[in-house]
Amino acid sequence: MTNYPVATLQEYGYKDYTVLKKIWKVTSIILVVLIVIMLYISVIMLAIQSVNSSSSVTSFGQFTFKWYGEMFSIRSLNSAIRNTFITSIVATLLATVLGTLIAVGLYSFEKKTRQKLMLFNNIPLLNADIVTGVSLMLVFSLLLPIFPYIFGPTTLILAHLFFTLPYVILSVLPKLKETDPNLMDAALDLGVGPYRALLKVIVPAILAGIFSGMLLAFTMSIDDFVISYYTTGNGFDNLSIWIYGSIGRKSLNPAVYAFSTLLTLMTMGMMLAYQFLMKRGKKHETF
Amino acid sequence: MNKEFKILAKPYIVWLFLLAILPIFVMIMLSFMFSEGLTFEESFFTFNQFTLLGESSTLEAFKNSVVFATLTTVISFVLGYFVAYNVFKSKFKNKFLILTLFILPMWSNLLLRTEALGNLMENNNILSDLLAGIGITLSIGIKGTPLAVIIGLVFTYLPFMILPIYTALEKIDYSLEEAALDLGLTNMQKFWKVIFPLSLKGVATGSILVFLPSMSGFAIPEILGSGNILLIGNVIEQSFKIMDYNLGSLLAIVILFFILGALYIVSKVDKEGETLL
Repeated sequence: MTNYPVATLQEYGYKDYTVLKKIWKVTSIILVVLIVIMLYISVIMLAIQSVNSSSSVTSFGQFTFKWYGEMFSIRSLNSAIRNTFITSIVATLLATVLGTLIAVGLYSFEKKTRQKLMLFNNIPLLNADIVTGVSLMLVFSLLLPIFPYIFGPTTLILAHLFFTLPYVILSVLPKLKETDPNLMDAALDLGVGPYRALLKVIVPAILAGIFSGMLLAFTMSIDDFVISYYTTGNGFDNLSIWIYGSIGRKSLNPAVYAFSTLLTLMTMGMMLAYQFLMKRGKKHETF
Repeated sequence: MNKEFKILAKPYIVWLFLLAILPIFVMIMLSFMFSEGLTFEESFFTFNQFTLLGESSTLEAFKNSVVFATLTTVISFVLGYFVAYNVFKSKFKNKFLILTLFILPMWSNLLLRTEALGNLMENNNILSDLLAGIGITLSIGIKGTPLAVIIGLVFTYLPFMILPIYTALEKIDYSLEEAALDLGLTNMQKFWKVIFPLSLKGVATGSILVFLPSMSGFAIPEILGSGNILLIGNVIEQSFKIMDYNLGSLLAIVILFFILGALYIVSKVDKEGETLL
């Protein structure tokens, strides 16, 4: 028997990248983690500042919870927080209800017309905050001769409604496209009026879209600064405007760090609880 | 859907016209006039603002805006694509948790986060104070420099790049990848020839969502630039503060041109704006 030389895999042109791949994978994970930390660094800083006994932002005194207690005893901060919540909740609720109805209305147009209308709907979404803010201020100023005291809660809520509506519409429309077009006809055949059918048949089918739209609208509304800055009136500050003023005066009270950290922790808790409940719900389904 | 429901959308068209289109005309009018705030009694027609537009400080602000926004977009694209792709490739398929992870920082107030970042960029800060306690000296001291502003913009707007890219990647049919590998492409080729082109829609949306706010915002450059760095948003803000509605309007109109460009791109890549969320 002659011993034929056996070709190795390498001789067939196979290159062994296993080690390189492993290194690349580990580097990727480290980089991703670093980027996520980067996104969170300011939130972490806020948390550190909120438990710092010294009100200076350059040195750490002692660990304390006193700012958490003082949070509700500072009047200007308190009213700013209240105004923020009033504006955001009212605007979000209005945007959710009206946005859903508008989305249904837009959906009944022919595709071509709808696409043109959606282009307009995207204006508030893409427009620079400062242009939106200034625009709204100009329109509201034109109303001043008729309603001299319009600037304040009314204009602020209208402005928030203006920039949150597109978000609700954009999250409801895809869900409407997914619904069976026969649903509506079936409901009408069974003898209910169109609006009753809308409420009883279509709305339950698109509920997920409505909720995600509502969540988005609230997120955008509660954090808004620029548009609120231009559309509110004297004495009706929301949290962002209050913070901007305090930063300008270099007198930011550490209690606001406590409030922000508390809010972050609460949101985080809510998200985790939701996640946990969903998981449990799924487990029960398999039984 | 029932044609009867068209009536539900009609008031919205009027609303959009009144609050989005009408003010554009008011601003165009204001930019050709000299008026005190919005009082038109002693106003007259002028091109004065246009000469101000050519002034070096305004031009500088424009140049800054475009340069900063472009850099922010490019950096965010590189980092954002990297993160989105790795999350997409990982076995971690819980989309809800992933989205939450990137959205959560946005829930604390933008100004507070920027201020905290600004504190971190000072020579003396809490972190260096805490680290000094365990024997590490660290000082950055870049607040007030262009670098600080760019870092602030990237840290703030990166999630807006990650999310659309992730959504676009997720929509790619896995059988396409299998087909590419079956046809003998290496992993690298598969990425460049199949996955990357299919994710461009997300990249386009993400870039717009990063570019526009970084170009026009005024709070981040003001806080992190310590007033040394003016972007176009700062000039607009100052104009309206000193009641110079005319120059402010003219600059806002210029920004609107950028936004119209963005709207045009969106209308081309994504007819009904579905990746905007």
